[in-house]
Amino acid sequence: MQVDTGLFTPLGLQPTAVCRLGFNAAGRWLSEHALSHRRLVAEYQTGFVLWTAQLIFDEPVRYFDSDCLEMRVMGRVRGGGTQFECEVEVDSARGITTRMRACCVPLRLDGDPALSGAPARLGSGVMEAFRPDEIEVRPHRSPAPGLLAAILRDGTELARGMTPFVIHRHQCEVADQWYWPEAVSLASGGREQLVRVESSRIPVLRLALSTPLRRLDLLFNRPFFLFDEGAVLSSAHEWQGCLVFVHELVGVEGGEPRALAIEQFTTRLSGRVWN
Amino acid sequence: MMVRVSGALLRFTDYRPVITVAAPTVGAALTKLADEHLALKPVLFDREGRVRATHQIFLNGEQLNREQLTRPAGDADSVDLLLAVSGG
Repeated sequence: MQVDTGLFTPLGLQPTAVCRLGFNAAGRWLSEHALSHRRLVAEYQTGFVLWTAQLIFDEPVRYFDSDCLEMRVMGRVRGGGTQFECEVEVDSARGITTRMRACCVPLRLDGDPALSGAPARLGSGVMEAFRPDEIEVRPHRSPAPGLLAAILRDGTELARGMTPFVIHRHQCEVADQWYWPEAVSLASGGREQLVRVESSRIPVLRLALSTPLRRLDLLFNRPFFLFDEGAVLSSAHEWQGCLVFVHELVGVEGGEPRALAIEQFTTRLSGRVWN
Repeated sequence: MMVRVSGALLRFTDYRPVITVAAPTVGAALTKLADEHLALKPVLFDREGRVRATHQIFLNGEQLNREQLTRPAGDADSVDLLLAVSGG
């Protein structure tokens, strides 16, 4: 895949770009190995909604590193047909630098033009399209809840803030439901706003702008839709000597967050001296 | 009563988020709404004329199941129509 400047920040490949390109690559894998997403929806009344994802950035990939990136994908059914999982490796001239693991929940579509559906196991017709070595009995378990609990229990909160948003059509997929990588965009916007507001008081927060992201964990509870209003509730923490941000994306109705994003940065805070 | 439509259903009501409907019950209001917005009909109702289970209906903030759509509702009441999740 040819790179362009829009995929990068000065620090490296944009996490949102990894999500979008990775999901596109997973769709290609499905099409080549089993059934295309389009056929799944149109012919098998089967859709997918993202439940959890994790991105690991082993090495920053910068725009000037290479003309091209290679994406390798592995897909599998898990949990007796209750999950579809894909693993994506992004390889630049410097080797494998970024990995994404995304797990979707299949939906049985009701057959209406809004593509409404409810969680359901993949039907036998769909399961037959996968090879035996592409079917894993054990379900995937998201590390996000445990990670959040550990941060809140053992970390030190440094600052918190709120960034409101409205979901617009360019942030949605074909059914006017938000496209899940937008959670990454909104979370990073919440972090940047928190840094802008609080960094004069807490200078260490500026590391979140100057150092690359090391790991991103996502968990989705309920989607946002076109023109839904919400807010990113962001908090910065020192945890295990590193800077971590927790973002809860909440709707105006309150209650449980619709999505959770946890960003971990590479730089260690311990012993840093700031003027 | 006011029927509020949001999100993925907006394109089926010509992007009108709030529509006033005069009807004696919640179910009757949904039927009238679908009659007035034909694109909404196959989205909201299945072939047997029942409200699809993939939609959530709220009367003044209280979620109703399909058996409760006979609840009476008047001018001061508000019905929210939500699609829980889409498989796009």
